[in-house]
Amino acid sequence: MPVNAASTAAPRPLVFAGFPASSWAFALRVWLAMLVALYVSFWLELDSPSSSALTVGVLALPTRAQGMEKAGYRLLATVIGVVASIAIAGTFSQTDGLLLAVLGICVGLCTYVAGMLDGNRAYAAALCCITVALVAIEQIDTPLQVFQTGVARGAAIGIGVIAVALVNEVLAAPNYHPVLANRIETLHRRVTDLAQGAEPASAPAAASLLHDIAALRPEIRTLATEASIGAARTEAARSALVEIVNALSLGRMLAALPAVSPDTAGLVAMARSWLRTEIGRTNAENRDSLDALREGTRPSHAWHAPLYRSRRIATEAAARAAISFTLIALFFVLTGWPTTELCLALVAVILALGSTTPAPRSFTLVAVMALPIACVLAGILKYVVFNGVSEFQLLAIGLAPVVIGLALLITLPNPMLSSLGRLVLVFTIAVLAPTNPQSYDPEVFLVTSFFACMSAVLSFAAQMLLPPLPGDRKIRFLLGEARRELDHLGSGRTRHLAPEEAAFRDAARIEQILTANGASPLDGKITAETMRYFDQAEALRRCHAELDRLQHGPLAGTAQEAERALAQRNGGAILAAAEALRLAAARSRLSADAAIAMLIPASSAFAPSQTSGRGEQP
Amino acid sequence: MTNTYRELVIGGVLIAPIVAYAAIALMAFLLLRPLLRFVGFAKLFSNPSLAELSLYVAMFGLLALLV
Repeated sequence: MPVNAASTAAPRPLVFAGFPASSWAFALRVWLAMLVALYVSFWLELDSPSSSALTVGVLALPTRAQGMEKAGYRLLATVIGVVASIAIAGTFSQTDGLLLAVLGICVGLCTYVAGMLDGNRAYAAALCCITVALVAIEQIDTPLQVFQTGVARGAAIGIGVIAVALVNEVLAAPNYHPVLANRIETLHRRVTDLAQGAEPASAPAAASLLHDIAALRPEIRTLATEASIGAARTEAARSALVEIVNALSLGRMLAALPAVSPDTAGLVAMARSWLRTEIGRTNAENRDSLDALREGTRPSHAWHAPLYRSRRIATEAAARAAISFTLIALFFVLTGWPTTELCLALVAVILALGSTTPAPRSFTLVAVMALPIACVLAGILKYVVFNGVSEFQLLAIGLAPVVIGLALLITLPNPMLSSLGRLVLVFTIAVLAPTNPQSYDPEVFLVTSFFACMSAVLSFAAQMLLPPLPGDRKIRFLLGEARRELDHLGSGRTRHLAPEEAAFRDAARIEQILTANGASPLDGKITAETMRYFDQAEALRRCHAELDRLQHGPLAGTAQEAERALAQRNGGAILAAAEALRLAAARSRLSADAAIAMLIPASSAFAPSQTSGRGEQP
Repeated sequence: MTNTYRELVIGGVLIAPIVAYAAIALMAFLLLRPLLRFVGFAKLFSNPSLAELSLYVAMFGLLALLV
């Protein structure tokens, strides 16, 4: 998720101490929201005021819409998590091993749901697990306290959400839609540049573009929370993204048209002219959608942007998370140490949050680095800066450098540093645990710090023992699923999506393939294979859609022959079917240009050089 | 003179009336959003979200004051 909202807004922002003014404004908003949350929590005498400050740390996002959407999901997930905690504690308390097994299953279930969703919805699934961890696991020995703890956590989170919303509204946090509109426009420009460039059929460039387009999907939903016209903006942004994918796939079809030979010259010319018209129409629709996004009106055509979900990957990740959690729980049972529930709860937190990232092990590594830093910062704050004070003003001043500094770190473009900043901010508040009156018991602090650090180390050790699904295996699964889907295209087993929407779904799968290996670049052969499946599926779907339109007219017989040629996946047969369709259409004085124009790219997508996997080299 | 508060009771748990008012105001505000979009509320203000927040606070305040 991009964290610097102003990165594309102003060409030369005002810079102070190396950070742009927007970053400073964001950091000040986080600090102010944290103070408001803590003050109200102290005033209302809530049981866990630190949860409200933690909520502010978690919702620290630079634009209003991003924070509000996450806040909504955070509240929803807390309610579900508290209900699940009450059910688990009520049914399985005092069942020893069975309770731990149920908690392990709960971790696995939440990880599975997180794997099937994206963006803040995946975060909500992870937060259900975190709520169960913080409510049910922390009260594992005192099940009667579960309800009270749940209500206290819910109230604190509610206060935190209100504080963030209020500060963002009053201090006019920037809107997200101009940033998104600029990014969508840039993507559209890149698609146009690729189509007009020297290598319009380049697989790595197209795959990277599709990745960037699909990566925006979780962000567009946030616009709905921005204003009363947010839902219209979401629709417009979604349509714009689908249209860009559409323009890119049409551009690739145009670039891949077969070389003109005396036999096929007429057909290729017809396909080229039709594709150019379609690209022009798609570009015009895209401009309309972008205008609708900026003005907050509904787009002329509202497309769905479906998400690609891999059940197999989600199941494997869930099984691994559940086993890791159960192993660590067993370790604690065997050691027989007291007060390990905090550690176990933090393990569940790290595993759940890791499941929402493409590389869970890297996330755990960042947590291993963040926790000692957070403990040291909390220790310095507690015993050097505050050292026994209990006035709120001093708490506010003392928190300022840490909170503002870490919020500035969150705004950095480097994802590693940004993620580290967020985790250190959240863990520092968790370890410091501001309460009224503040506790300065060094023993509690040392035990908390020790178990917090140990939870990260144990999570990392569990992931070393049972590594998360490796990237190349994920890629193999995804490519296998793409291949199977391609085999079943047209056989009635496919989903009923418009070709444009199905193309976006394929783009979402390409995004997952490209992020499966983390930051390391993808093998050129795999990229070429990925793009080949994309091109073939896209050509097939469009052909089926166009041929379906001819099924109820005089050209039905020829259209069925073309369908049979498509079922054979034979480029030569498809080309022959296109020629037959052209002749039949001329005889009947009907227009079948669209179907013919789609059959030509399909014939080149299924040409022997393409199907054997040697056709497109990066 | 003291006010009498009617607590919301869910499964035997007493919930402060102000929470119920906040929730009712939020529901009413969400129902009002399509109307606000229809009348072009967002175009009337330089900071529409702050105007929407103020509207919500006004609705919440009226509810707490009058009910």
